[in-house]
Amino acid sequence: MNRSTLSAPPGARSRPSPGWRARLRAAVVEHPNGVLAGVLVLLVLLTGAIQPSYLSVNGMRNTLLQAAPLGILAGAQTILMLTGGIDLSITMIATAAAYVAANQSPEGAAVAILLGMGVGLVAGTANGIGVAVFRVNPLIMTLAMSGILLGLFTSWAQTVLQGSTTVAPFIKLVGGGSFLDNRIPYSVVVWGLLSLVLLWLLRRTGWGRLLYGVGDNEVAVYLAGIPVWLVRITAYTVAGILGAIAGILLAGRTGAVDLQLAGAFLLPSIAAAVIGGTSIFGGVGGYAGTILGALILSVLNSMLTFLNVGQAIQQMVYGAIVLALAWGYASLTRDPG
Amino acid sequence: MTGAALARGRTAMPRFLARHGWALGVWALLGLLLAWYSTLIPRFGQFQVVSITKNSLPLIYLAVGQAIIVIAGGIDLSLGGLLLLSNVVAARFMEGQPLGVALLLAVAILVGLALLNGLVGLVIHRSGMPDIVVTLATSYIWSGLALWILPSPGGGTAPEMRWLFTGSPSGIGGTWVTPGMMLALPVLAIYLVLRRTRLGLGLYAVGSHREAARLAGLDVARAKVAAYAFGGMLAGLAGLAMVALTGTGDPRFSVGANATLNSLAAVVLGGVALTGGAGSVIGAVAAAVILIMLNPILSAMGIDPNHAQVIQGALIAGVMMVGGLATILRERSS
Repeated sequence: MNRSTLSAPPGARSRPSPGWRARLRAAVVEHPNGVLAGVLVLLVLLTGAIQPSYLSVNGMRNTLLQAAPLGILAGAQTILMLTGGIDLSITMIATAAAYVAANQSPEGAAVAILLGMGVGLVAGTANGIGVAVFRVNPLIMTLAMSGILLGLFTSWAQTVLQGSTTVAPFIKLVGGGSFLDNRIPYSVVVWGLLSLVLLWLLRRTGWGRLLYGVGDNEVAVYLAGIPVWLVRITAYTVAGILGAIAGILLAGRTGAVDLQLAGAFLLPSIAAAVIGGTSIFGGVGGYAGTILGALILSVLNSMLTFLNVGQAIQQMVYGAIVLALAWGYASLTRDPG
Repeated sequence: MTGAALARGRTAMPRFLARHGWALGVWALLGLLLAWYSTLIPRFGQFQVVSITKNSLPLIYLAVGQAIIVIAGGIDLSLGGLLLLSNVVAARFMEGQPLGVALLLAVAILVGLALLNGLVGLVIHRSGMPDIVVTLATSYIWSGLALWILPSPGGGTAPEMRWLFTGSPSGIGGTWVTPGMMLALPVLAIYLVLRRTRLGLGLYAVGSHREAARLAGLDVARAKVAAYAFGGMLAGLAGLAMVALTGTGDPRFSVGANATLNSLAAVVLGGVALTGGAGSVIGAVAAAVILIMLNPILSAMGIDPNHAQVIQGALIAGVMMVGGLATILRERSS
């Protein structure tokens, strides 16, 4: 993007000496996650000002319980967005996995969780094959997958998956329970461990770097001798498994499953990754920002609940704040020319 | 690239096929489905034609709106939200009004939504934010606004509006002439604007290669605003058609979200590339009708509606996979 060399706008010549704006911009460019953390703290304090009891272990715990499944789903989106993909079926995969886990709960928690994750593996890989081998646009492939899963599970819920719709006690404990005097939710521990794995994968492994490479310049990666299709398929597989884990955690939190279990998380999962600075076009971003994005959206949700303004205003404020965050980020990180 | 190479060919036929092959295929598929449907049910007459036409109208409008925006290099996840907004404003304020007021209101909705979404296009252009992010955020705003205007399903519409979009003042049965007209006229108008005017060709140019279009002297900002304004207006039309079809307003978020996703599916199935600059609204129209028609066809075949959803998803994925394979094979052979 060498726009400035082609036609320098009149303002670019007389750039003022670095004032507070320029310094702010430099700070944002160098430490985007620091700025996000600042926004997060601000939102937490603001929520505390609205509802003082929020600034307590209990208040934080509730927000974290919300943030864990969202953060994991957003992690799946982050991985895919880095390759230039996206997954609109991720919440349906989560719901399907939770359904299977609930159905298999009488067989024991381990079997239930493994089979649930198996659903994520199969659906995610199918997405990957469609996108990587058949070159279907990821929006369309995953949209179709979402419809297929919804149809299958709506009919299976009355036939082969008839039976238990409540999850095993162990899943309930992990999804909704807490330890240390009811302070720290188990689901946050799961999220924390997954986050460490994801951060390590993205930063320190060849596979992680290839995700960036494929999203940034697919041709270069291909010419370097890398099977691009394999990178893509594995990305969708990992995303599917992450979606399944998030779905099982959600089922544990609510205790029972239905086909609308995770649906409301779809747009927030994308928004969290975008707020966190991951580019929807691929190659730019990371999971640390996404974690902050998921926390910001969860705190925002709590704040809007406390304000008790009704769903309509909540949706509008939610949209406006996502827009404002993205806009602020874009205008500050953009080339000042 | 193939288009430019073929343009120098001796006959116009290969060029026509290269340009419109996919859209022609989709129309052929629609024709086949229609023929098949007519053998499945005991009697295929005006009632079925009216029913398919009027039920397809909202998705057709939305798909055409999405197609314009995608052709111009964008994507709009808020079209469903705009549809909700138009739907609830019409349902809340049109009920029991005389024809003049209802028409005025309809025009106000169309113009208002065009301005609103045009403004969104301007914001996207000025801010440098990705289209998908901005419209994701505005989809929440419009849906929330719709819920605020009409907190629960209800309201109504004027009988004349129902007649216009469904062919009968009660919304049942009626003539095929008015819904057919409401299908053909807006689509034709948009098609002509896109293919025959400076502005429309500019949208293709900007969607195909934004920087090249800018350097060639095209007003990129104007193209973006125009595309989003057209999209907003068509989403408004879709909302009006929906009120006419159901007779009430429905502010539920899921209605808008599903409409957005279906519009994307119709656009891509219709041969409009999500990368921008290629395709036409004609294919998207056929794809939208196919998506709507699958439900009555599969239920006429005695298939469980849940399986119908599976088949619809598999069909979308399958068609796109065939398209992808065809592209790969063509690349290999050339």
